[in-house]
Amino acid sequence: MRISKSIYLFFLPGLVLYSLFFLYPTISALFYSFTDWDGLSTTFQFVGIDNYTRAFTGDSIFQKTIGNNLKFMLTVVVFQTLVALAFALIVIKNTKTNVFLRALYFFPTILSSVSVAFIWAFIYDPSMGILNQVLELIGLDFLAQNWLGNANIAIYSLAITQVWFHAGQMLIIFVAGLQAIPEELYEVAKIEGASKWQAFRSVTWPLLAPSATIVVAYTTIQSFKAFDLVFAMTGGGPNNSTEIIATYIYEVAFKSYQFGYASSISVIFMVIIALITYLQFKALRSDRVSY
Amino acid sequence: MKNRLWMATGTVGLGLILGACAGESGGEDSSSESGDATQISFMHWRGEDKAVLDEIIADFEEANPDIRVEQNIYPSDQYQATAQRMLQEGSTGDVFTSFPGAQFESIQSAGFFEDLSGEEFVSNFDESLIAVGQKDDTQYALPYQLVFNMPVYNKGMFDELGLEVPKSWTEFQEMADTLLENDITPIAFPGADIGPNQFMNSMMMNNAPDEEVFQKLQNGEESLTNDWWVNTLEDFKLLADKGYIQDDALGTNQDSAMAMVANEEAAMLATGSYHMNSLLDLNPDLELDLLAPITVEESEATYEGINTATFMLAVNSNSDKKDQAKAFIDYLSQPEVASKYANETGQHLTVNGVEYESEALQNTSYWIDERNTRFQPRFLITNAQIEDAVLSSIENVLGGEDPMAAAEAAQQIVEENRE
Repeated sequence: MRISKSIYLFFLPGLVLYSLFFLYPTISALFYSFTDWDGLSTTFQFVGIDNYTRAFTGDSIFQKTIGNNLKFMLTVVVFQTLVALAFALIVIKNTKTNVFLRALYFFPTILSSVSVAFIWAFIYDPSMGILNQVLELIGLDFLAQNWLGNANIAIYSLAITQVWFHAGQMLIIFVAGLQAIPEELYEVAKIEGASKWQAFRSVTWPLLAPSATIVVAYTTIQSFKAFDLVFAMTGGGPNNSTEIIATYIYEVAFKSYQFGYASSISVIFMVIIALITYLQFKALRSDRVSY
Repeated sequence: MKNRLWMATGTVGLGLILGACAGESGGEDSSSESGDATQISFMHWRGEDKAVLDEIIADFEEANPDIRVEQNIYPSDQYQATAQRMLQEGSTGDVFTSFPGAQFESIQSAGFFEDLSGEEFVSNFDESLIAVGQKDDTQYALPYQLVFNMPVYNKGMFDELGLEVPKSWTEFQEMADTLLENDITPIAFPGADIGPNQFMNSMMMNNAPDEEVFQKLQNGEESLTNDWWVNTLEDFKLLADKGYIQDDALGTNQDSAMAMVANEEAAMLATGSYHMNSLLDLNPDLELDLLAPITVEESEATYEGINTATFMLAVNSNSDKKDQAKAFIDYLSQPEVASKYANETGQHLTVNGVEYESEALQNTSYWIDERNTRFQPRFLITNAQIEDAVLSSIENVLGGEDPMAAAEAAQQIVEENRE
């Protein structure tokens, strides 16, 4: 079949939008990452790879943000995936109660991140917050903490908030994945004498791997980019213990006016996310099977 | 073939037209000709002052029917980060406000300040308080508000307990011990947000009386590991160790800290004079004044408190309505207009001839003329990352770190970020 050349014009709107809103900013960031541009001046100097050298060898806060981001990401990925999966297994059947519960679990996702930050900052408040008060009420006052003020645990407190905020979204993906698994496979497993755990391990999990891949990859990217929550709840403190790469880029670009350096961190940030996502895809793909 | 080509180009064209329409209807130019009147944009960060400014603007528009003023208000954090970009674009902020320090320096070096040196209204301001808006003998901005960034204290409570305002570090600790004996937390410290950046000023003012200390830190002549800063961190540690600030201070935000003072659970709020009105809203029976900790012996004390001339009014050099913008600043600097603003916002101002009506403002006005206050040292740190390192060392100490170790960690960041 001969394809008319005019059909290529249909690609044009998408191509224009993609170039304008993705390619151009990406290439710009890459370009400015080799300069000392302050974001305001019309002039700048090329500094070669100085910005990259500074990031890896002369900026202890940036190195700390990578560690913070990894802690945050690992906590969120593990807990969010497990929580979403556990709840999905509970509400998989389309009963009225389950439909209501799914909507309930999904509810936090529709809130604005600033509202979520406000709610959780109040929950975590060490003197007036509901969390410490409940712990005291049930006799677990030894567990009461300065949730956002203690530099050793603040990043994990933020991670829990992130899990609460987004687990409902992942639950929907898992429910869709679980409902796509043919019922017959469970019947065969039952006839073969498989226990519930064996059925989960040999039927559910392998067939759920594509959904899990999406959930893990999306959660990873989301947790790297959790700017709004961190910014609104702790501003990166105390003592930079909750500063993540995204908030640090903002600090460097918009408070220190070092757009060139901020661009180099953005490029490194993009590479880190791409690398981790690739590794996750590769690892989870090995779990996939088809019957 | 032709039809397909037309369809394709039509699709693109329609998309572009729709996009253009959406852009046009999506927002209104905030700095435009509005009917016969010229509309100017007043860009600032004081959302809490919107109502009184609306009244002042209405009066201004009545007196100047050819000028309309629209307020463009952004939260202070966002304002510090994005004001420069909006000024560069020129459609917002014909009149704008600037923070002193890093933001003033940045806007000045970008060339967005119109020179106000020769304007008549400059003489409406107290000459001794507007130097912060000058550079190279040019008046670029005129600070409007005068803030005292030092603890607000419950004067009534002090009187009841027979406490005097301490004049030395020893007296300060005795005062704090008395408050503790009476089950009162001496200082409510909002460590989760503005506490460190406000309280550091009065805590260090006499440990480092040299007003150029942060300039020297930035150019390598000073170090955070020297006595002036390590002593300041040790003083912070003492406050935490002795329970002079509340437990879990780093998790307490300013609302919670204010509630502690309003409920008389705490005697002092480690923020500044700008919170006096909010405290009185929460508890109108409070009698308030200002008190900065003197961290040295009385004979060694140089300063009694901290001031910041801020909310600096300026005209955008990229504006094409500079005359109208200047007319608005002229109006704001009239004593009767400034008095209205001062009394309704509970702020001291830098304008001459302001009459303070509220008891709180009258009771604290003596800080303007009679006390030796120092310009807020934090605003003299012009590098945001160095400022962050300084503040982080305080958080680090309050989190349990040894003062010298915290100073060394902060000094490393200072050295990484020296220009």
